[in-house]
Amino acid sequence: MTVTTARSRDRAPAPSGSLARRRRRRPAQREGLAGYAFLTPWFVGLILITAVPMLLSLYLSFTSYDILTPWTEVQWVGLANYKRMFTQDPSYWHAVLVTVKFALIATPLKLAAALGVALLLNQERRGTGLFRSLFYLPSLLGGSVALAIVWTRMFERHGVVNAFLAVFGITGKAWVNDPDYALETLMVLAIWQFGAPMVIFLAGLKQVPTELYEAAAVDGAGPVRQFFKITLPMLSPVIFFNLVLETIHAFQGFTSAFVVSNGNGGPVDSTLMYTLYLFIEGFGRYEMGYASAMAWVFLIAIGLVTVVLFSTGRFWVHYSDEDDR
Amino acid sequence: MSSSFSVSRRHALRILGGSALAVPLALAGCGDDSGRGGPAPDSTAPVELSFFWWGGDARAKLTDDALALYTKKHPNVTFKKTWQANQGYFDKLATLTAGGDAPDIFQIDDNYLAEYATRGATLDLTSYQKSGKLDTSKFPESLWKYGVVDGKLAGLSFGENTQGLVYDRTLLAGKNLPEPKTGMSWDELISWAANVTQVTGVPGTMDPSGSYQALWVWLRQNGKELYKGKDLGFTADDVTTWFELWKGARAKKATPTPDVIHEGNATDITKQLVATGKAGTSWVWVNQMPELKKSTKNDLGVVAFPGNPKGQWARASMYFSVFRNSKHKDVAVDVINFLANDPAAGAVLGTERGLPSNLDIRKSVSASTTDPAMKQSIQVENDLGKLFGPAPAVPLKGHSTLKLELVKAAENVQFGRASTAESAAAFFQASKAAISR
Repeated sequence: MTVTTARSRDRAPAPSGSLARRRRRRPAQREGLAGYAFLTPWFVGLILITAVPMLLSLYLSFTSYDILTPWTEVQWVGLANYKRMFTQDPSYWHAVLVTVKFALIATPLKLAAALGVALLLNQERRGTGLFRSLFYLPSLLGGSVALAIVWTRMFERHGVVNAFLAVFGITGKAWVNDPDYALETLMVLAIWQFGAPMVIFLAGLKQVPTELYEAAAVDGAGPVRQFFKITLPMLSPVIFFNLVLETIHAFQGFTSAFVVSNGNGGPVDSTLMYTLYLFIEGFGRYEMGYASAMAWVFLIAIGLVTVVLFSTGRFWVHYSDEDDR
Repeated sequence: MSSSFSVSRRHALRILGGSALAVPLALAGCGDDSGRGGPAPDSTAPVELSFFWWGGDARAKLTDDALALYTKKHPNVTFKKTWQANQGYFDKLATLTAGGDAPDIFQIDDNYLAEYATRGATLDLTSYQKSGKLDTSKFPESLWKYGVVDGKLAGLSFGENTQGLVYDRTLLAGKNLPEPKTGMSWDELISWAANVTQVTGVPGTMDPSGSYQALWVWLRQNGKELYKGKDLGFTADDVTTWFELWKGARAKKATPTPDVIHEGNATDITKQLVATGKAGTSWVWVNQMPELKKSTKNDLGVVAFPGNPKGQWARASMYFSVFRNSKHKDVAVDVINFLANDPAAGAVLGTERGLPSNLDIRKSVSASTTDPAMKQSIQVENDLGKLFGPAPAVPLKGHSTLKLELVKAAENVQFGRASTAESAAAFFQASKAAISR
């Protein structure tokens, strides 16, 4: 942006007097207009597909909107939906608990797996390119339904996983069909898809100057010490970035829980993630006003979590340009 | 599937244009009040009706053929047909309704009829019934009445159905075990199942404590109801007794382990334990027999739920409803009237949606069917039909919550995470809150 503005200023004819001053502004203005014109498709999308529905849902969260009644005829109920959520709905708090547990356990483990594999793949050896692709594959499958179905079949009582464990004489559980293990099975699925943060870690590792390691090696620091004293601090901005993204991602987990539980959050609500419960209320029970209120509380909650993460970042994230100061 | 709806705006415009022309024509033609509901059925103006149902390939084929018969008789009427599996059907129907783009005719079941009817999404068919444009004179009275919500005829019962205990004949025959019988008590059934487990190694019966159908029949046999007026027709203590009954059955090993019961609690018909070979019996609807048969090589049999068969009733397996804001109400009603009462359409549709509601058609279809599974389910329904008690009212709005809460409460007990009384109390409270909302 700045480059183009500078260039166009050079190209402007030599100004003189007040008329010229007015003219001088014009190319910049025109360029701004052109910019906005190019942005229009995106703005239209933002307003019609995101902003308007969001604001509508804010309005609907204060109503008893039930989908089937035209939304122009909905009843205003004030804070009733919010009151019900916080004081009268045990399932709601259960869903909050399940989601927080999922995010708290799955996110750090996923990041650890991603960093661990990235460290291994950072070494220049034959075939690392192939392995990088292979480890990234599960992430390409993303939140796919097919993957969740396969996962369900693998983790049944008579699934592949238990057959494998049986080789070692271990009797496996019913995993996805057991309320004590169903959520954990979903966590494993989430952790397995560590490809995206791994690629970002790999890029971060390439940025660490090699002379730091050389200097450390000369000073007698072993690999472990180098990792904690050089790699981790140098990588902390990347870790922070991944942490924020993956935390938000974990909170929004829906597809796998939906598929594994046939859409009801079972067994015994053990996989009742927040977004799944929201979906059940909104589309299964037609309590769309209530679901809208849940969505807004969710938005604020994720916002707060992100703010907290940013405020802690001050204590452990090191930017290399800060060190130069 | 979604694409067929995304083009609907253009269709809708065309229909709008068509009906704008058609209304004056219809008014000029017959001069009665039918202009209110769009063109009259005997008008020749082109009409396209959207038609939405859930079901499998077989149902799609039969419905296509039956609707083609209607188009043959009324070449100006064509159909925009959309169908999909039961899972996700009601999500889709709700969003279509919300967008004001609900299909003119849609299939619905008693789990959702009250939800739609009390919110005014369904057309009240009473006036059509009174004027004879919707003929229910050949229907059993209790059957069409099962489509009445708050005094309005919200849907036309399409197919009669009742609860059935489907069992694995091959499994029993292999070990010379007796088959279950209609009229055996709940305790007898549980002992029978425990014996099956012991002899065959396959658990004798699915644990139906999370099944609202089974609970409902059991309640009726004990002089209670699932719903009474606008309230629940039972107490938390009743549910405790119900959970205790099956806790005892699990102790006797009459049922599978909790994780397998959880698999069987899925609404998907192909996951029923009798079909997957994980239990000897499943608690289903009689008309699901042919569908269950497709998922297993074994021979299946069907009897009534245990206890007095008077607790069971002729349930409408599903309904056809007309969207209240349909542009072609009169034609849409004529179409469902045709599907229910025309002998040729009846012969095409058979018993795929349940026993035909029209008793004359039921008779002729029963006489001509050759499918053994269908024959068997017709036989059982006809036998049971003589023993049925009166039909209860259609489940209240909030029923979908009650269903889910019952599964949750039952599984909580099965996995040993809560006592029967705690779980029953939680279920009772959540259900009461849901129906009074």
